[in-house]
Amino acid sequence: MLGKLAFTGIKSRLRDYLVLFTGLIISSAVFYMFETLATNSSFLSSSTNGMDSASFIFQFGSVLLTIISLVYIFYANSFLLSMRQHDYGIFMMLGAKPAKIGRLILTETLVIGFLSSMVGIIFGGILTASLGNYLMEKIVQMDLPNFQALSVKAVVLTLALYLILFVVAGLINRRKLIKTPVLELLKGDSQPNRPKLKPVNQTIQIVLGLGLLAFGYYVMKHFVDFQLASIPIALVTIVFGSYFLFNAVFVWLVVLLKKTRWAQQGINNFTLSQLSFRIRNYTKILATVSILFALALGAITVGMGFGNEADLFTQGSSGYTMALKNPSQAVKKQTNDLKLARKSSYSFKATKKAVYYEKDEFDRQPLQDVSDKWMKAISKGKKPVASYDSRDGKTLQKNPGSLYYLQGDFEQEIKVVSAQKYAEIQAPQQELFVFRVKDIKQSKEKLDQIVKTIYPKTFQQQRANIPGGYSSYLSGLEAFGGFEFMGFFLGIAFLAMLASCLMFKILSGANSDKHRYEMLNKLGVRKQVLRRSISREIIILYALPGILGTIHVLFGLQLFKTLLIAPYQGIWLPFLIFVVLYLIYYWITVKLYQKIVLPAVEIDK
Amino acid sequence: MDNQAIVSAKNIKKIYGRKGEKQYEALKGVSFDVHAGEFVGIMGASGSGKTTLLNILTTLDQPSEGTVEIDGQNITGLKGNDVADFRAKKIGFIFQDFNLLENLTNSENIALPMSLQNVPMAKVQPQIKRLAEQLSITGILDKYPNEISGGQKQRVAAARALISQPAILFGDEPTGALDSSSTTDLLEMLTTVNQEQNVPILMVTHDPLSASYCQRILFIQDGQIGQELKRGNQSRQEFYQQIIDDLGAFQGQEAKYKC
Ligand SMILES: Nc1ncnc2c1ncn2[C@@H]1O[C@H](COP(=O)(O)OP(=O)(O)O)[C@@H](O)[C@H]1O
Ligand SMILES: [Mg+2]
Repeated sequence: MLGKLAFTGIKSRLRDYLVLFTGLIISSAVFYMFETLATNSSFLSSSTNGMDSASFIFQFGSVLLTIISLVYIFYANSFLLSMRQHDYGIFMMLGAKPAKIGRLILTETLVIGFLSSMVGIIFGGILTASLGNYLMEKIVQMDLPNFQALSVKAVVLTLALYLILFVVAGLINRRKLIKTPVLELLKGDSQPNRPKLKPVNQTIQIVLGLGLLAFGYYVMKHFVDFQLASIPIALVTIVFGSYFLFNAVFVWLVVLLKKTRWAQQGINNFTLSQLSFRIRNYTKILATVSILFALALGAITVGMGFGNEADLFTQGSSGYTMALKNPSQAVKKQTNDLKLARKSSYSFKATKKAVYYEKDEFDRQPLQDVSDKWMKAISKGKKPVASYDSRDGKTLQKNPGSLYYLQGDFEQEIKVVSAQKYAEIQAPQQELFVFRVKDIKQSKEKLDQIVKTIYPKTFQQQRANIPGGYSSYLSGLEAFGGFEFMGFFLGIAFLAMLASCLMFKILSGANSDKHRYEMLNKLGVRKQVLRRSISREIIILYALPGILGTIHVLFGLQLFKTLLIAPYQGIWLPFLIFVVLYLIYYWITVKLYQKIVLPAVEIDK
Repeated sequence: MDNQAIVSAKNIKKIYGRKGEKQYEALKGVSFDVHAGEFVGIMGASGSGKTTLLNILTTLDQPSEGTVEIDGQNITGLKGNDVADFRAKKIGFIFQDFNLLENLTNSENIALPMSLQNVPMAKVQPQIKRLAEQLSITGILDKYPNEISGGQKQRVAAARALISQPAILFGDEPTGALDSSSTTDLLEMLTTVNQEQNVPILMVTHDPLSASYCQRILFIQDGQIGQELKRGNQSRQEFYQQIIDDLGAFQGQEAKYKC
């Protein structure tokens, strides 16, 4: 019977439970997937080198994901409690002992937690098995023949984290239930939070909030001066700043709006009253969501920023895509298929002492290298476009730096000499074959083919050693591609969870809002009008943290100024993705809320 | 009928609202007794403090001042397991809106107070059967609450309130959501229970028909007990007429009560 009592709610509220389960399953599936990728990548970092950046990103991501899962479960849990409080009120009224109530809610929370994380792990395993290889390839640009979709370590970690979180959640639920008066449990929270205007108090809060935010933003903008301390400082000031701002402005806004003529029309006043009813409960979550929003959007923006960087990095790293020594005719023929921007061939002779180039050849066919114009463009805030300078024989004679790079050997001295002197050198004549493609991304497969022709067996190891943009592109992809992927992954995971938090918070209230909407309907308010009121109420709740979160991100990107060449470039794309996802969540919330509160039978005028 | 007081309320006051905020005194010093075996009604207009009083008597709320003794036990300030034990063993409660669990069958709902005390279903079966016969709900025991009528729901709720053999049964407008024939059914059954099992009943109502089943009626107005009315040897119909007349006199304006 105890078991039955704990789960009496599930059958009649299947839909609400499905929402809860889906959210929890997605959250644990994401966590499992992340940990699996992390375990696989750490296995990798011990076997090859250069994987350190990836495993660092994974660790960082894990910490963030844990924090957000914590917040998420907290809200999912309060949703669970709101669904169950009436039943527990009846239990208490009938004389169930506190210990009994405690055991029931703890059992219920734990079973739900255990089930959803198990299903989440299985779901995450399936996802990882089907997507894992592709994802890993995206991160490290390599096929992993022994990629493991089932990682015992990830299973244990996910289960452990979720069970601990659910035990904590269960304990919180138990405490809340036992502390809440029975009458309140039976009636739902019909004690309104009356918003009051306390001008002095609120002005102080606004000033304090703005001050803290300004300080946080200042720290981020000048983070070079604050070094590592800047992240915790900014986090604390921005969290509290957001909270104070919401607390004061939100209350003020609702109270002022209620006085306008607009509030007197239709059921606008009801909509506003709905907002003010739970105003205090909402300010906390709105502040939290605005921070999470910033983290999520920031993760995607920075990730994509790193992705863009791969291109810039390549364009700016070398004047040529590849510099090949003595290529075979077959290889040269392959280059004819490429869309080339430039192609040259220089002869050189190598002795034990030095490598010699002939000055006249460079006068006839100047060597190219990256110009620093695009760097200047960035510092002026313009869109950087790669550009190249030509270097003739005389320039190179003075400074053969560009040649060192293309030659790929910094030990050996390089000399650019006159034709006469060149002819005197006793060594076999060799060829340095350089070319630049118009678009490295589009040509990547053909370029890979060329390397495979040169090094049929040692392709994987050698391709990163060929001087030129191609090898920079590969290492850029590894580092930046990893960041880009991580940014996307974390950003979307964060967004999914933060929007669910907001959704749960709103839906938690829906259960006790039901009778208010029923009453309005009985009074003759049409369903359509009620629907509009609901969408308005919820859009305010979604929009406010969204706006503040966006501002957080715009300032937060300052942190990446030294890491990224152009952190604000192409920023519209992640924002667009974000807005679309956010709107989808908004839409789902509105639909679910309407399903809960709108009476089944319509009483039309 | 002995004269032992089952409920003894002394000078109960209830003030809503925190200090410093807007306060409202819903009960202004209410005192009364309910004796063993009595069927007492409390009548009053909407907002007069009936529910507030009942919530205090059933430990769902605490009085701001005053004491309540039930079955010889002071219940004001009871905490934790003591409140739970008190609710489980001493009182039964019927609400206007039934408060049945939709997911349990009616017989499981009736057994719920015992299940919460870890008494197995099988052990409660005979008692459920007896109560079901008394309340005419034998045929619907295996159905779910949403498959039965409001009158039947309230009888199931009454059976649930009686299963633990409480010292007293409380009802907050138990007939408030019922039509008049269901109201009559329920009250006749409650009267039988009251007389055969000697269970005292304290019922809050604003409906004269329901009140006419009581032996004694306390009128409450603006948080204070005004008049008391005794049925004595009158028939139910006579008593009903007296209530109607008295309501008019008591209130001075009959229109306030729409019966
Ligand atoms: N939780 C509360 N907070 C403030 N005032 C309340 C609360 N509950 C009831 N009241 C007020 O106390 C008075 C008595 O209420 P109640 O006992 O519910 O009346 P009745 O049940 O007789 O209709 C009413 O005026 C009501 O507005
Ligand atoms: Mg009442």
